[in-house]
Amino acid sequence: MADSTNQPLIQVEGLSKSFGSHLVLKDINFSVSRGEVVTIIGASGSGKSTLLRCMNLLETPNAGHIWFHGEDLAAERVNINRLREDIGMVFQSFNLFNNLNVLDNCTLAPVTLKKMSKAEAEEVARANIASVGLSEFVNAPVTSLSGGQKQRVAIARALCMKPELMLFDEPTSALDPEIVGEVLNVMRDLAESGMTMVVVTHEMAFAKNVSDRVVFMDQGVIAEEGTPEQIFRNPRQPRTREFLTRYLED
Amino acid sequence: MSVKERLSGLRHFVTDDHRYVFLTTSLVAAIGIWFSMRPRSSMSFLAGMYAVEVAMYWFLVAWLALSAVALIFKLTHWKNYAETSPFTKPQVKPIIRWLSYLVVIVTLVLFVDRAIMGFSATMQTALAQDRNPNDFLGSIIYMLDKSADIIGQGVITTVELSVFGTLIAFFLAILLVFLRIQTIDRSDNDFVRFLKRFGSEFAKLYSTVVRGTPMMVQAMLIYFAGFGILRNTGMSVTEIGGVWSTFIAGLVTISLNSTAYMMEVLRGGIEAVDPGQNEAARSLGLSQWQAMIKVVFPQGVKNAIPALSNELVVNIKDSSVLSVIGVFDLMFATKTVVGIYFKQVELYVVAALVYLCLTMAASWLLGKFAKHLSVEPAPLTSVSDMNVTVGTVAGTGSSEHSLDQTKARNQQGADQESQR
Ligand SMILES: Nc1ncnc2c1ncn2[C@@H]1O[C@H](COP(=O)(O)OP(=O)(O)OP(=O)(O)O)[C@@H](O)[C@H]1O
Ligand SMILES: [Mg+2]
Repeated sequence: MADSTNQPLIQVEGLSKSFGSHLVLKDINFSVSRGEVVTIIGASGSGKSTLLRCMNLLETPNAGHIWFHGEDLAAERVNINRLREDIGMVFQSFNLFNNLNVLDNCTLAPVTLKKMSKAEAEEVARANIASVGLSEFVNAPVTSLSGGQKQRVAIARALCMKPELMLFDEPTSALDPEIVGEVLNVMRDLAESGMTMVVVTHEMAFAKNVSDRVVFMDQGVIAEEGTPEQIFRNPRQPRTREFLTRYLED
Repeated sequence: MSVKERLSGLRHFVTDDHRYVFLTTSLVAAIGIWFSMRPRSSMSFLAGMYAVEVAMYWFLVAWLALSAVALIFKLTHWKNYAETSPFTKPQVKPIIRWLSYLVVIVTLVLFVDRAIMGFSATMQTALAQDRNPNDFLGSIIYMLDKSADIIGQGVITTVELSVFGTLIAFFLAILLVFLRIQTIDRSDNDFVRFLKRFGSEFAKLYSTVVRGTPMMVQAMLIYFAGFGILRNTGMSVTEIGGVWSTFIAGLVTISLNSTAYMMEVLRGGIEAVDPGQNEAARSLGLSQWQAMIKVVFPQGVKNAIPALSNELVVNIKDSSVLSVIGVFDLMFATKTVVGIYFKQVELYVVAALVYLCLTMAASWLLGKFAKHLSVEPAPLTSVSDMNVTVGTVAGTGSSEHSLDQTKARNQQGADQESQR
């Protein structure tokens, strides 16, 4: 699904991040092409979330560059708000705005930032809410939704900004097993529509079946990356193999 | 428990429950006996029916004796009381029940005769007096009657000071907390950074100074400073009295004082908002300011409403120190009346009761208001021994982790509060 232009959509270069004296990311080099779906897997604490959060600067890197639209997100005083409009993010804990209903969650950012009229923004929002199958909940307060519904609203909310890149940080980890599927289906549809996605997940089936590339992280470095077949069938690194066997046993 | 449930519980207790008949009504009978032993007032209607009252008295005494017998029987036949007691026989039970109602009625009659008619009589005589009567209640009634204007003026001023003061403080606190919670964002230029830094430090300093000094001192300082400044402009004392009255100075004091506390409460509410809310807003491209205004702040204020409304209750009480600069509030009015009659205990009891009524009314109203906004009402306490309650909205839909964080932060807010 990779784009014909070989220029990556986002490129991470020599990225390091530490919390205090704890070095969490060590010289990460990583890029995502337009239309590509990349999943990041790895043990807990290996730095997956931190990498993802650096990619829209929710964490400030200590060193390195993150190239997006020809600008370095990590540079001092870059217009980060403008660039974030094109990078959607979905959180493990949904983080829907509790003071707003479903529709207003989806229109807040477009109306505030895109100089859209309220009516226009609502039309876009309704379409996106419909695409995640929640049309009947348009006016519901978000606190009344189930976890799976909340996460689908969160995806719709991000899509309303028409982002070019979507980041997912363990979008299904806070959900009951029986409703994980409804969120994964929405993500699969999104991937098939050509959206560029970076997904941190523990859903190995999703990594295997939907992604174009799998990145395995271990202790703050990218230990191995490759196609799903290669990573899951014959991982080159012993630690990848160890992680996968441990994981698939559980 | 709703009022309806309570009523139906009471009805069940009165009409069906047999277990406590003797226990409850013997207490009622004892109260009735006590009333009948009180001296009769001039308005007592039982005074002309001596025989009736004697009968009532002996009926209550007999009931007490019967209760005592029942109690002894119960203690000696603990295990099989229900089968062996003469009081639990199906023929006896209804009689006892009806008698127990009679006990209550007799006691009520005695209560009306002694307490209510007695009070009316005291009031009648006290109001007719032209000297302060010597009995406690009579004296209070006499003085309240004679100084109703003064006390009424005091109550009105106290209500005005606390209500307006709290409202003004609320708006000032909102402005101040905005300054307080500003954090430097990467995209800010040097000027914005300086402004934010300055605002935040100013708010911190304000809060420290105001919360660290007594309001009585603040009142003195503000009143005399204002007075001095106006004096320097060449105004005469009477002219100044027209502009910078003690009431205005008191209102300024209580507003500025309450602002600091309310700011801390607001800050606690804002910091209790799940940080994920801010992150989500920022991830969509909203600036720090936009995320604050549209997402974090509304939730934070909602969190803070219970503790904020408590500030009104605090202000009703604390406005009493403003009497030190001569504000004509309830405290000052009471002092004035004390100066006339030299009945300190009687009058300060009245003042305490009026303050209690005001604070209870305020917290009842605020409870209704908070319910209307679907947040938990605060208990009737001073801010110092109360946790900042997070409204039902906070933290819903977040993981366990962030809920715990909310609690931890909340506790932090409460700790800060407790410095008060
Ligand atoms: N804000 C923070 N302050 C201090 N340490 C942090 C912070 N965020 C993450 N860390 C640490 O950084 C390391 C990597 O965390 P990260 O959340 O990126 O891991 P992860 O791979 O996403 O793990 P998980 O699968 O549990 O989500 C961990 O050791 C974590 O304790
Ligand atoms: Mg993580």
